Amino acid sequence: MTSKFSVIGQRVHNIDGTEKVTGSAKYTFDVVLPNMLYGKILRSPHPHAKILKIDTRQAKKLIGVKAVVTGKDTLGRKQGIWRRFPELCDEEILCRAKTRYIGDPVAAVAAIDEDTAEEALDLIEVEYEPLPAVFDPLEAIKEDAPQVHDGVELNININRHIEWGDVDEAFRKCDHIREDQFKCSSQAHVCMETHDAVASFGHNGKLTVWTSTQSSYYIQRLYADMLDMRESDIRVMNRHTGGGFGSKFELDSAQFCAAILSQKLCQPVKIVLTREEEFTATKRRTPMYYFLKLGAKKDGTLLAKEARVITEGGAYTAMGATALYLTGFFSSFPYKFPNYRYDGYRVYTNTEPSSAMRGFGAPQSTFCGESQLDMMAEDLGIDPIELRRKNGMTPDYEVPGQAFIQSCGLHQCLDKIEETIEKRGKLPPNHGIGVASYGFMSGGIFNWFNTPYAFSAAVVRINIDGKADVFTGACDIGQGSNTTLAMICAEELGIKLEDVRVFSGDTGICPPDLGAWGSRQTLMSGNAVKRAAAECKSQIMEFAAAKMGVNIVYDLDIKDGWIHIVNRPERGVSYYDIVKGAIRGKDGVAIMGRGHYTPHRKGMISPAYSFGVQAAEVAVDVETGRYKLVNVTTAHESGTVINPVGIEGQLEGAIMMAGGYGYCEDQPMDEGKILNPSIADYKLIRSLDMPETEILEIDTYEPEGPFGAKEAGEGLTNPTAGAIGNAVYKAVGVRINDLPITPEKVFKALKEKEKKKKAK
Amino acid sequence: MSYHCPVCNKVSSSALDLARHMIGRGDKVHRDWINSKGFKYSELLTLQFKSFGGEGFKALSEVLEKETKVND
Repeated sequence: MTSKFSVIGQRVHNIDGTEKVTGSAKYTFDVVLPNMLYGKILRSPHPHAKILKIDTRQAKKLIGVKAVVTGKDTLGRKQGIWRRFPELCDEEILCRAKTRYIGDPVAAVAAIDEDTAEEALDLIEVEYEPLPAVFDPLEAIKEDAPQVHDGVELNININRHIEWGDVDEAFRKCDHIREDQFKCSSQAHVCMETHDAVASFGHNGKLTVWTSTQSSYYIQRLYADMLDMRESDIRVMNRHTGGGFGSKFELDSAQFCAAILSQKLCQPVKIVLTREEEFTATKRRTPMYYFLKLGAKKDGTLLAKEARVITEGGAYTAMGATALYLTGFFSSFPYKFPNYRYDGYRVYTNTEPSSAMRGFGAPQSTFCGESQLDMMAEDLGIDPIELRRKNGMTPDYEVPGQAFIQSCGLHQCLDKIEETIEKRGKLPPNHGIGVASYGFMSGGIFNWFNTPYAFSAAVVRINIDGKADVFTGACDIGQGSNTTLAMICAEELGIKLEDVRVFSGDTGICPPDLGAWGSRQTLMSGNAVKRAAAECKSQIMEFAAAKMGVNIVYDLDIKDGWIHIVNRPERGVSYYDIVKGAIRGKDGVAIMGRGHYTPHRKGMISPAYSFGVQAAEVAVDVETGRYKLVNVTTAHESGTVINPVGIEGQLEGAIMMAGGYGYCEDQPMDEGKILNPSIADYKLIRSLDMPETEILEIDTYEPEGPFGAKEAGEGLTNPTAGAIGNAVYKAVGVRINDLPITPEKVFKALKEKEKKKKAK
Repeated sequence: MSYHCPVCNKVSSSALDLARHMIGRGDKVHRDWINSKGFKYSELLTLQFKSFGGEGFKALSEVLEKETKVND
């Protein structure tokens, strides 16, 4: 079938791919400026302590040291991304009176090289008074627990409630009710590029920052708050960025300390966090205790669900408040629960703060919900896919009072996965296939950041040679958004992809955009780019119509650089010639188009949702509990596929990340100290552990998205842990309710099962 | 019929919704009001996360039903 698109749907490599594979791409790590100094950060060794005194005199005397700063050198403000709620802005970054986790920054040094800065850290004397600390949220909510933040009763940082229908009444009508408890572990983001920044404060009072970030705009705004500067006096640029996954859209210690040191010296200061700091002193996936109650009729109709969640917040709010809300919302996904209640509590602890991570609370809710759904299916004697089919969301469904689902291909995904499982036939002994369904948002509607700007904005400029420049505040963090946006622009203008250049993530030249989080850029930034390109196109068309002298009843379009009458493509003119003429005709002014996008009247969560179903096959060694991920097949629908190569990359990356979450990744602690802060000790799924993967793309069209597209990024991380858990159960009959599902846990459960069998 | 928060005057459509608001807000003034009615804020919260069914909200809503109802 011939595609109606010229560029969209083509298999395209990233437009910056050549730079990356040849090593010529410049990351913040590579930025070197004249007179640049190197910074290092001193961090608290105590999980909870008063700072009695900081003596920096010896450090300052060390040859090569240019400055040492502490909390006293700051304005003492607290940062937080929930700017609408001042009580949730609770992180000083450079602590003044108290530290709240092992890794909290207390001082920073700028020196002529990294070694000198590191040496100076040893010369800073900090006198602490260690305080009682609390590490587990179930302990922290006790009345006699130490208080992490003064005045916060029971250490409850924030709570969230979602409810619709009459839950209690619905449970009374159920034939079968299950109550289950789950525990979801932490996970590190493990970006290839650690957090880093080069901050340069000029004598003109202006700050320029190169940094690895998911949102240049957020960082610019947060700097303005913390340094009491005007937003426009701060320029933040994200160059090539080596991954974010939710860890890089809050002001971090590298960014803040580099700026404070640079402000003091009026010299550029570069800070690159070490891998150990990355593990221990940034943010991480939110660990959660999940309590679920699920009620159904005998025929499998789900009538009611109730979820209670307590999350380990760590020392500060960060983006954890959003994760708390979203885990509650996505706990109802992707099913039509007529009655649903959620109560979530985020609890402060003296541990590294937990925050956003790819999936944003949904991998946790999906693991718990999909595990429990399989248990319910077994209790009722119904096939798990059938149970999902019976209750799954459909197009044009309203989640009561919360969200409007327009496009939804969940049922097609279930059909495809069912076919795939059938095709695999009879499995060898101790093999099992587990399934999990999921859904996710295409960008968030919420504005806790309190931005006055449109959520996404773009400017497109057509140059005299017909090439288009896209200016967007969207951030390409390695996920390929610049390529996606270039494709959207090229398609709208009817030109070749190589005729589009993208300038992104630079607050000095790009319009504000909230950045790369919540799977928002394809839909939101994509809409902004499409609209900006459309504005340019309409200017070009005006000139073309006049030049061609066509009957006004004819419509014109551009395809492959040829402006022509729709339905009579042979009658046309060269786009490139028309652009030249149009610019001359406009007194030499370049053709410019502006576009923006903010969702309105789309519910409370997101303007669009993607859906999918994943099947994971495992092979378990019953002697040891070790198991192998044999195959992961995903039926996914993300509306119109802009770039199939991009989706495949997202999916493989998601399986690696979410498979690790389900199988091996964790951050065990002893008294608040993370015990595995290195790539050697932190167990990831590596290339040799990757299962065979297959993606089955389901065709849908999202009316709200650019050319019908929606997200294909974070949602893919949601199902894998649940699918693995269900597969292990199918393979050997043991159910593990706490992540990660390690071989040790499987081994123990198998022994327990054997013991019970013998006792019978 | 509406229910007005005795602390910040937020209007809710039911006493249960108002209870959710007051417990959820959880700042000192709201906590103090709840405590002044013979509850312990911390106990209500604990009740919420220790049991299904929103028992903490329900307990407070009984008082709010009597004290904060406004006939519109």
